[in-house]
Amino acid sequence: MIYNWKKIVKHGLPLLFVAVIIEIFAGQILQGNRSLLVAMPIFLISIPVVNSVAGNIGSVLGARLASGLHVGYIKNDIKDKEMQYNLLISLLIGFISYFVLAIVIYYVALFSNLVEDIALIKFIALLVITGFLLICVVALVSVFTAFISFKRGLDPDDMVAPVVTTVGDAMGIVFLFVIIGIFGVGI
Amino acid sequence: MYAKEMVKQSLPLIVMCGLGAIVAGSTLGLMTDLFESIPGLIVVIPAIIAMRGNISTALGSRLGSAYHLGVIDADNLWNDELKQNVIGSFVLSFLVSITVGILAFITTILFYKFSIDVGILAVKLISVVIIAGIISGLILTLLTIGIIYLVFKRGYDPDNITGPALATFGDMITMACIFGSAVLLEVIF
Repeated sequence: MIYNWKKIVKHGLPLLFVAVIIEIFAGQILQGNRSLLVAMPIFLISIPVVNSVAGNIGSVLGARLASGLHVGYIKNDIKDKEMQYNLLISLLIGFISYFVLAIVIYYVALFSNLVEDIALIKFIALLVITGFLLICVVALVSVFTAFISFKRGLDPDDMVAPVVTTVGDAMGIVFLFVIIGIFGVGI
Repeated sequence: MYAKEMVKQSLPLIVMCGLGAIVAGSTLGLMTDLFESIPGLIVVIPAIIAMRGNISTALGSRLGSAYHLGVIDADNLWNDELKQNVIGSFVLSFLVSITVGILAFITTILFYKFSIDVGILAVKLISVVIIAGIISGLILTLLTIGIIYLVFKRGYDPDNITGPALATFGDMITMACIFGSAVLLEVIF
């Protein structure tokens, strides 16, 4: 017998508890901005999207770095060209994803009669800027988590995904409201 | 230079997961009235989605490893190894759900003033999280086993499939469960 449910619970709980505390903090930011979200549900639709793209890109980058570190074609060094190359491509993929998804969100909201007074171009700009800032943070977190865990003898494959998705969720919500504030939407 | 390969392999999957997230987000858009009537409900959403994602992708990747280790396969799927994994995921879901409910309740009564009775709010909020956590856990566990079974049958590597598939369906199913259990509790109370 390889698996034992008690072991699975014991190994899973600590990381999940930390993640939950950070996510509750993110949830409280949503609660604080509830009136804006209820008035402009297009941003409610956007929240899972902002978090999903960043989480996936961070996890994919982390998995690639983990494989590279294990096999040895990526060195545990901030100046490693291969790592920087992977990081830049992640930024590019993030940029394209947010651009495409912003258009889809806008038309989904339009057809559900949820678009109040925000123009397509403004919404795309808002979402892409939020997303791009987030991807930059998430990609860096992914690189550092992979490097640090590898250095300490932990498997980056186990560490990167939970760390990146949790940090990404919280920062995504923070960035979204900061950029909404800068754009002066819904005031 | 393999940039083109990376973009070609990752981009469609990430956009597809994004489309799944739009469906999840649209469910959020339908819940605006519930956010008004249950203070703190919006607080639990990132936590439940994250919990679900963590627990089910971990289950998927453990079952992937179990397949590579040869302890489960398509003809011998429902064995004791699988059961231990499923029980482990359920116990985690239950414990973390209760924690999410309690933390959301405490932080909400600390930070905000509202008109609804504190006792009723505690019961509502914590039960929404537990019901949504358990039901989405049940659906996603069955889905994971189903995906793993199909992947085995076709001889693909489960490591490449379960992660993105669970990420896409996970958010949608979890949001639908939160919506459903919140509506149910509003009807009861």
